[in-house]
Amino acid sequence: MPAIGVRHRLLRDRRVWIGLGVLAFMAVAALTAPLIAPYKPDAQLDIVQLAGQAPSSAHWLGTDPFGRDVLSRMLFGSRVSLTIALAAVAMAMTFGTLVGVIAGYFGGPVDSVLMRLVDAAFSIPPLLYIIVVAALWGDVGIVALTLLIASVAWFGVSRLVRAKALTVRDADFVMAARALGMSSWRIVTRHVLPNVVGPAIVTSTLAIGNVILLEAGLSYLGIGVRPPQASWGSIIQDGAERMSDQWWLTLFPGLAILVTAFACNALGDALRDALDPRQLQPLRDDDTPLITA
Amino acid sequence: MRRYLVLRALQALGVVAFITTLSFMVVHLAPGDPIGSSLQGPNVTEAIRQHWRAEYGLDRPVSEQYVRWVRLVAHGDLGFSFSQRRPVRDVFADAIPRTLLLSGMALLLSFAFGIAVGVLQAEQPNGSRDRWLGRVLLLLYSVPDFWLALMVLLLFSLRLRLFPPGGLHDAVLYDYMTPPQQLLDSLKHLVLPVLTLTVLSSAVVARHQRGELVSVLSSDWMRTALAKGLSWRAAVRRHAFRNALLPTITIFFANIAVFASGSIFVEKVFSWPGMGYVTVTAVAARDYPLVTAGVLFMSVIVVTGALVADLVMAAADPRIRLR
Amino acid sequence: MPRSHCLSLRHVKRLMPFVIVIAVLACKGTDTASNGGPGNFGGTIVIATPSDAATLLPPLMSSITDHEVTDLLYDRLADIGADLNTVGDKGFTPVLAERWEWSADSLSIAFHINPHAKWHDGQPVRANDVKFSVNLIKDPALGSQAQPLITNIDSISVRDSLTAVAYFKKRVPDQFYDLVYQVSILPEHILANTPVAQLKTAEVGRRGIGSGRFRLAKWEAGARLELVADTLNYRGRPKLDRVVFSIAPDFNAAVTRFFAGDADLFENLRAEQVTRLNGDTARRAVRLPSLGYNYLAMNAIDPASPGHPHPVLGERAVRRALAMAVDRRAMLKNVFDTIASVAYGPFPHSMPVASDTTLPQIPYDTTKAKALLDSAGWLAGPDGIRAKNGRRLEFAVTSPSSSSARHKYAVLLQDAFRRVGASVKLDESDFPSYLAKITSHNFDAEMESFNTDPSVSGFKQSWTTAGIGSEGTNHTSYTNPTVDALFDSATTAFDPARKKAYARRAFETIMDDAAGIWLYETPTIAGISKRIHTTPFRADAYFADLANWWIPANERNARDKIGLRPTP
Repeated sequence: MPAIGVRHRLLRDRRVWIGLGVLAFMAVAALTAPLIAPYKPDAQLDIVQLAGQAPSSAHWLGTDPFGRDVLSRMLFGSRVSLTIALAAVAMAMTFGTLVGVIAGYFGGPVDSVLMRLVDAAFSIPPLLYIIVVAALWGDVGIVALTLLIASVAWFGVSRLVRAKALTVRDADFVMAARALGMSSWRIVTRHVLPNVVGPAIVTSTLAIGNVILLEAGLSYLGIGVRPPQASWGSIIQDGAERMSDQWWLTLFPGLAILVTAFACNALGDALRDALDPRQLQPLRDDDTPLITA
Repeated sequence: MRRYLVLRALQALGVVAFITTLSFMVVHLAPGDPIGSSLQGPNVTEAIRQHWRAEYGLDRPVSEQYVRWVRLVAHGDLGFSFSQRRPVRDVFADAIPRTLLLSGMALLLSFAFGIAVGVLQAEQPNGSRDRWLGRVLLLLYSVPDFWLALMVLLLFSLRLRLFPPGGLHDAVLYDYMTPPQQLLDSLKHLVLPVLTLTVLSSAVVARHQRGELVSVLSSDWMRTALAKGLSWRAAVRRHAFRNALLPTITIFFANIAVFASGSIFVEKVFSWPGMGYVTVTAVAARDYPLVTAGVLFMSVIVVTGALVADLVMAAADPRIRLR
Repeated sequence: MPRSHCLSLRHVKRLMPFVIVIAVLACKGTDTASNGGPGNFGGTIVIATPSDAATLLPPLMSSITDHEVTDLLYDRLADIGADLNTVGDKGFTPVLAERWEWSADSLSIAFHINPHAKWHDGQPVRANDVKFSVNLIKDPALGSQAQPLITNIDSISVRDSLTAVAYFKKRVPDQFYDLVYQVSILPEHILANTPVAQLKTAEVGRRGIGSGRFRLAKWEAGARLELVADTLNYRGRPKLDRVVFSIAPDFNAAVTRFFAGDADLFENLRAEQVTRLNGDTARRAVRLPSLGYNYLAMNAIDPASPGHPHPVLGERAVRRALAMAVDRRAMLKNVFDTIASVAYGPFPHSMPVASDTTLPQIPYDTTKAKALLDSAGWLAGPDGIRAKNGRRLEFAVTSPSSSSARHKYAVLLQDAFRRVGASVKLDESDFPSYLAKITSHNFDAEMESFNTDPSVSGFKQSWTTAGIGSEGTNHTSYTNPTVDALFDSATTAFDPARKKAYARRAFETIMDDAAGIWLYETPTIAGISKRIHTTPFRADAYFADLANWWIPANERNARDKIGLRPTP
């Protein structure tokens, strides 16, 4: 695939700039949270006077029922939300690509077994599965939650990567390499991986958006971060009881989640279109939401 | 074809068995004690709790409980719900039709809506209408489902008071209404959850539909037809639509889990006592039989969805059978 | 699960309410003067509840909804009086038993069943039913939680079809109460054919055939439970036509129904919801009596190595310093605004034996708290968290995720403790897990919510060495021989003043030890539609006299006008 064409298409696509812009903004906000946050995120400033105050000049996004500054919590919360999403997707991608390449390249019984496993995994309703595990197994912290999310995010990638690896395996240049006595390891790293990396990246970008949504939903259900830490979903949860009169606790974190997920999805769409211009439509598998949020 | 069908069905059964075992173990090996939620208080002696554990077989090894459970399920008995103190079968008999009603209406509407939007978009791929609609769809696609449900509830019910805040129908008067009144009342209660679920899933449908349509319309045979003077409208109506709809439906069914998850939040926020709500409530009560059966049910739905999707595809495209 | 969504368990009260000796809080807005005559029957009350009933068999009831529904469906032999006296039979009013006689040695009581009493299926109530009901609870196969409460009842014999004689093992002040309060009379002819062990799952358990003034009309699981007036009841038909329990999936949804006008009563409002009722023309707030108190219970024993004192909380100075770090008034204001009061000690102050509000309190003083920790050798480290001999001042606070108030308090405490250099991890789990942890003493500190037994003997369960076992409620394994002795003396004393004096010294000792941080007395504020005219609420069960609540004809709405039409 001509790299120049891809780059050109990407640079021309406004979705890329919007997506990257939003994500860069979020990343900077998350990284510099300790510097720019007006208050400590978990400091209960005044549990009587400042509990549940509407947005004001002192607290731009209001305060929560514990007298904490919502803006500061959202800034620090973005670290948690984004870290979970990135880490979970990174893990899922690595594992999914590994399984996909192995299945696709080696084929035969290995492929059958792995793909049946993927089929089975696909049939687990992810949200329900995580709710059940988290609720029954108790104290699910950030690390465990990340692992849980990763555990339901990998199979979409592996199916896609396998399909790609399957086509690459039978390509002329791979045949030639094999005929020249190149080891399987080298063929995989030299020829197969570079060819599956594109779809994998597209999928991961779309997956990040979905994982952010999933994490928010789970935090809203009280699964994941533990007080006094915040994630976007947990801020909504802290305010859920007071939704009707303290709307800022639901609205602002919700918008943050929406905008971030939107940026990831826009970027993902743009990447997909750029990498595969012949196909103006989404690839069947990579548009399949990896995670249901 | 028959061989494929049988193989595929067997495979689906295997998957269900696998997930069932997994969910049974996840639930039953979890730390904590399901007895207790209903048996707290200082007057309850350990002996009484032990009695109840024995009553439900919870004092047996997990493997033995599993075998017993599988045997029961094989006989169509899903066990007995601790928290509702009635057979899981009865719980499901109430909840499943409710979920089907809500999801069914939302599905129909989101297909109608999603396909319409998809067609509008595909008319001029990458035209300004396509792009704007695409952005709106992407935005809807990125909305957190629980948040959308909360916002809809807040706006239309709590603030504007246009619709009831939740439930199946009027808690009291429903049974005493005339049939037309009942219908109206049920519809009023359906509006918000159906609206939410429809918005969430029509974005998905429209994105697929647009893609499929564009791909069909850009195919060689279609280009030829258009070049020969077939009008765009006719092309879409006569050929492209049919060719694009099938894959859209298929993809949707293959991903029914997405839909199921969305409906969990919607049922929860709008107090709709369907399967998602029942299962989530059962989790909170550590109602092992109900949770296990709930997960089993969801998995069966997902597997069936995938199976139907595959069979439809196979029927449409003989090459797939050779896979 | 989200904590705000499974509050039902928070309201699961102690099953059998206890000897309650406080005066009933009368309720404003009740008036019996204009209480209409026989022509004023009619109306529907809808009670929004976050939890469905689990059973309609009184011996198996476990939730407040079970309690409400079964109390309306079934009758006892006699009802406790408004003053909730439990000694002898003073104040008790006849229900199924129209009269009773004590034997000379007080070891047996003969109950004469009201000959007009009928089950909802038309069969007459008989003395055999009394015998059946008591034996059922005593049968270990049923697993009734009332079983330990009626061990003093030796047996019931049937003298004739309308006379049941109860024989007791010992003469105790509460023997009459034990029988009539703990045992609802069940229909033998309906239940006896089902093996006892199967009753909890059998369909007959869901039919609700009793002799109460309301009968079961319909139970749509998870959605609605409807009772309708038993018009031919031997005690007269209730004023209301219908009682509907509107079952919401969670606390918020139940409250929403109340405020949307879809329900007339919600039992447990939060502070902000009570505020919302100011100026509401259709609804009012009513404070219901409650004997709950809530505190941070600190484990005396190390859960990691039982038998050894807790490495952090086992130290009295640490507990006292932590108590000093907590601004209980500010927390109360944050969580409850004005609807609750700060707990004075390990008791609700409305209880006569503990009504003392002058007991010395540990004051809120963070400076003193820090100084105390410094002098005890707990010195601040680089991250601000204190440590002593390499052990960090760190512990977990266990709480049930189902309770919104306790969650809030845990978050507030976490920050308060951090300010004096203690690090707290919040350990929240669903109610069953929480319960398992506290009953097995496997926690550092926990948010204890206790609906107390106000007789002194109840405190022995929580605060004496004898209560540490699995039958007691001394979850923190608090042990102090002085307290043991004082409570023993208080229990055996006959003179109320001396009883109180002993109890006061015991409480003082517990509080001086800082065995807990006394946070708040549980508020129960109900919201009620102004249409509903209530009678005084009995302290143990606000719904006890629901059959006499009424709705004036000119205030009735569409659902009040359903009338006695059969439920479809």
